[in-house]
Amino acid sequence: MTTVDSGLPAALRRRSFGRKVFDTLHGYIRVDLVEEWMFPASTVLRYLALVFPVLLYYFQSSFLHIGDQTYLLILIGASVTAGLQDALTGLTSRLQFAQERGTLETYLVEPIPWAMIPLSMNIWRSVTGALTACVMLALGTALGAPVHVAAIPAGLGVLFLGILACNAVGTLAASFLILFKRGDPIITFYGLVAGVLGGALFPISVLPGWLRWASYLVPHSYVISAERRLLMSEPPAGGPSPLVSAVALALFCAIAVPVAIALFDRSLRLARRLGILSV
Amino acid sequence: MTSLRGAGAEEIIVLSGLSKIFEPTPRWMRVFARTHLRTAVRALDNVDLTVRAGEICAVVGPNGAGKTTLFRIIVGLTTATSGTGTVLGLDVAKDSEGVRQVVGWMPSEDRSLLMRATCRENLQLHGRLQGMRRHELAARIEEVLASVGLAAQTDTVVAGLSAGMKARLRLARALLPGPRALILDEPTGAIDPIAAHGLLKLIMDLVAEQRLGVLISSHRLEEIEALQSQALLLDHGQVKHSGDLDTLRREWDTPELELVFADAITARYAAAELIALGLDTTSTPDDPAVRCRPRAGDRVGEVLSRLGPLARDIQHVREIPMPLRDLIARVYAREDNQAGKVAR
Repeated sequence: MTTVDSGLPAALRRRSFGRKVFDTLHGYIRVDLVEEWMFPASTVLRYLALVFPVLLYYFQSSFLHIGDQTYLLILIGASVTAGLQDALTGLTSRLQFAQERGTLETYLVEPIPWAMIPLSMNIWRSVTGALTACVMLALGTALGAPVHVAAIPAGLGVLFLGILACNAVGTLAASFLILFKRGDPIITFYGLVAGVLGGALFPISVLPGWLRWASYLVPHSYVISAERRLLMSEPPAGGPSPLVSAVALALFCAIAVPVAIALFDRSLRLARRLGILSV
Repeated sequence: MTSLRGAGAEEIIVLSGLSKIFEPTPRWMRVFARTHLRTAVRALDNVDLTVRAGEICAVVGPNGAGKTTLFRIIVGLTTATSGTGTVLGLDVAKDSEGVRQVVGWMPSEDRSLLMRATCRENLQLHGRLQGMRRHELAARIEEVLASVGLAAQTDTVVAGLSAGMKARLRLARALLPGPRALILDEPTGAIDPIAAHGLLKLIMDLVAEQRLGVLISSHRLEEIEALQSQALLLDHGQVKHSGDLDTLRREWDTPELELVFADAITARYAAAELIALGLDTTSTPDDPAVRCRPRAGDRVGEVLSRLGPLARDIQHVREIPMPLRDLIARVYAREDNQAGKVAR
């Protein structure tokens, strides 16, 4: 099993970076699947619960006689926000759970670069986030929302960029959590701000000018705006085109993801030096 | 002492002048969370240690002595302020990822396991992160679980295991990648003495079989003695003793002498004589046995000869070694006294 000559166990000879990425993703996805299986009822209920906001907006639109397009506008905003929320909160909730349970340090002593942990730990919640948005939209479509089906692949592409951007924001919050043991103040604050500035339940054109500029700093607004323009036959006027939104999101990801990962790595190293990784 | 290592055994863990000072939490961080650390704390002070293949080194000391900090520096969970540490030549600060490949760490708490997952699932996660291939991992899981006596519990949910079994599973996790060094932080902390004995026997067998270098901490000193290990005595981060337990005994132990006389009256006279000689002596009125502790450097024959004609009535002499607990307390007390004298 071991070789004294090389000083390293035979099974663990040098791994390429790509192999480490694969192993880390595989390891964390596996444990996420096990965790879903550990509490099957909560997993089922989480997906079952998605039916109700869709029904809520459906009956509300019927009651207010606001028409199919407005129902779809609200449905897209609510679905995308719900999906992005999973990607946004997944890492901090997993990390806090691991910190409190005492499993975090057993992950940190494994021979993988710490910078790989944020995206790996959040990949499953990112997938479930995308699934959440798709299921809500599918339910809405079944209830009569007129979704532009041909634009779904492009919509998925934008959703992917949005989820990646939320991973960056989640990783920033996780950096805070590592040092201060609480990441939820950032996530809660950001989630509420993004709900308003991103225009989850209304087009951002209704925001006053001085507030509208701020919405362009929030990735949610680009994702929601692009999805509406792609999936609706009569999207609200104003706002960037889907292509501009996608480019803005890609730029945000290109800057924010490496910065967030570097900050997370620095936070872990500072916590390690100060001896507060588990305190 | 039975040494498990051979002559010229390979050096596995080498620490040299290792010190750790926990700095106070920076002021800007105190805005966000209350801190427990407002002044610098020296957790380790110039620690030197070498653990060779096939050798167990017990790190002993009261709470706050620096045992866990020492272990955490080796596995990369904290950093040393000065000094160096290597595992198989890999620097614990610069090659932390490499070190983590060759060190198996067994933390002290059961909480580090996924309680609702099975033993197999717990090991699968760590095996993947360690880069083990699927088939190899499946075989290795069977192997390590069998080696710690948990083969029958492979697909049992961890929450249903006894404390002893959970400790064995933590050991299996540490052994999974086939490490060359094991760091065991209070492995028997929460388990009963019989299970603890079994676990330690298992560790000794593994060390002998796989020629691992092992660092272990435990508050149960009888266990440390049973491990026939090297010992590193720490107090407030400083090394009080480093070496094998036999050397510690030779340097510090003054065994108690039990002298059994023909009758209780002679024993009483002998006790009075020994007390007059200034020896720490205990006896009970109707007991023909007297116990005394010779001063350091006194030979048994000298003590007996001082009893004069009473020595002729001794029927039996027994030497009672000092319990390890008392021996270690003595080391700490004498060092403290010496430090006090220097300070004065």
